[in-house]
Amino acid sequence: MSSLRIANLSAGYGAVQVLHDVSLSVEDGETVALLGTNGNGKSTLIHAVIGRVAPTAGSILLEIDGTTHQLAGMKPEAIVALGVAIVPEGRQLFPKLTVEENLLLGAFRKAARPAIATNLALCFETFPRLAERRRQLAGLMSGGEQQMLALARALMSAPKLLLIDEPSVGLAPIIVSRMIETIRELKEQYGLTVLMAEQNFPQAVKIADRGYVIVHGKIAHQGTAAELGDNEMIRRFYLGG
Amino acid sequence: MGVTIDLLLNAIASGILLGGLYAAVSLGVSISFGMLDIVNIAHPAFVILGSFVAYIANTTLGADPLLTSIVVAPVFYALGALVFQVYYVSFERHGRDSLRGLAFFFGLMFITEVGLILVFGVDYRSVQTAYIGPSLNFGEVGIPLRLLVPCVASLALLATIQLFLRRSFTGRAILAVAQNQVALQFQGADPIRIRRIAFALSIATAAIAGALLIIIQPIEPSVDRDYIGRVFAVCVLGGMGSIPGTLLAGLILGIAESFTATFYGPSWAPAVSFGLLLLTLAIRPAGLLGR
Repeated sequence: MSSLRIANLSAGYGAVQVLHDVSLSVEDGETVALLGTNGNGKSTLIHAVIGRVAPTAGSILLEIDGTTHQLAGMKPEAIVALGVAIVPEGRQLFPKLTVEENLLLGAFRKAARPAIATNLALCFETFPRLAERRRQLAGLMSGGEQQMLALARALMSAPKLLLIDEPSVGLAPIIVSRMIETIRELKEQYGLTVLMAEQNFPQAVKIADRGYVIVHGKIAHQGTAAELGDNEMIRRFYLGG
Repeated sequence: MGVTIDLLLNAIASGILLGGLYAAVSLGVSISFGMLDIVNIAHPAFVILGSFVAYIANTTLGADPLLTSIVVAPVFYALGALVFQVYYVSFERHGRDSLRGLAFFFGLMFITEVGLILVFGVDYRSVQTAYIGPSLNFGEVGIPLRLLVPCVASLALLATIQLFLRRSFTGRAILAVAQNQVALQFQGADPIRIRRIAFALSIATAAIAGALLIIIQPIEPSVDRDYIGRVFAVCVLGGMGSIPGTLLAGLILGIAESFTATFYGPSWAPAVSFGLLLLTLAIRPAGLLGR
């Protein structure tokens, strides 16, 4: 059981404040989408949760199996050790390591190590393409395959909370559809708890239970995926739909 | 003709044996320079320090140099961790000023060298063991045990490090740390800690390489300078950070030097490493087995 509660969070880079008093929650087994166009603070929020950006105010509480952890002020490696995994924007693979070595690094956190063989087999089962290419260098694969690998690597850590930052950036539409479909299957199969930043609104609402629209670093709208999808104003003004 | 073929075979044999030593001495640089981008020009000085430790244990206790080096390797590891911490806090944390870092390691090299001269003087020192002296003879080719034992030990050392890097979680994190430190944090590893472990490991290998060196040749404190060109040539020729590449490049350098010494005279041997270095940079900058 895991859930994330962000309350009155403010964060930014030096003198530039990006997030203003943001509050949101992700319940156990839920997929929550962070929506909004570029430069509104989606990635900053994801980076605050993983510890790359230090909050200036507010709290980020992660509850795992009845224990609550304050993530604000923790280092990324400590947050990952708790059970938070990220599929970063731009994938951030280790290009000169093989597919398999990238996956094994995904299981670096101590709690994930005992199940490493099982999880590796599951990853290869879910992504047969990665099994075929296990000895290939990650940097030599196509963009779509690299995105698959980034997702599989995050799953290797048996995450309690999965953060996905802009999974569709730089991918062809058909690959994006396939990617979103895969995330949906994984979520149903493993009951993952997911917070996903995505600017592709139609794709995101396909798999999200709920969504938050971020505009200029503030939550402008929130609701279930259906409510957000039906809101004509959101489509027209914020999402370019 | 017979003499020429004998010479040729002997040159190849001693080249291979010498190459094993070069690989062991270069291994630490393949880790620090090849994997961590730390230009540890003082590495050969640490190797000589390892030689002197083996020398002291051998002359006072009659200890085997190899055994001594394995026992003191953890001390060298701790020394390496300390050096990394000073380097990190003083230079790397304030942005990657590699030139100032180079000056730091240059200074470290001189301090080590001068320290050794103050304690031991400038005379050549050597060790005594049962395997210094006898040779195995295959027809016209003689293989001195004094060269064979270090070569075999070097292979074992390289294999151990390679296994550690490829099969352990920390090892794989070391391979990853130069490629993307942020991504490594996202896997739950502290990049600074991983770099400290890797650098400490590189200095621990110097303890063993030093013992191998003093078995092969008598040493004095400034012998490290003969090895600066060699270790960086081997590291670059092999391919940055590749352990099999380090072995291959070590063997190539050993054979090339052995040939040069046999057919053109020993005074040309030092030119070989820099020649190989320049050739590699011109023709194949990624090195032989670089990824």
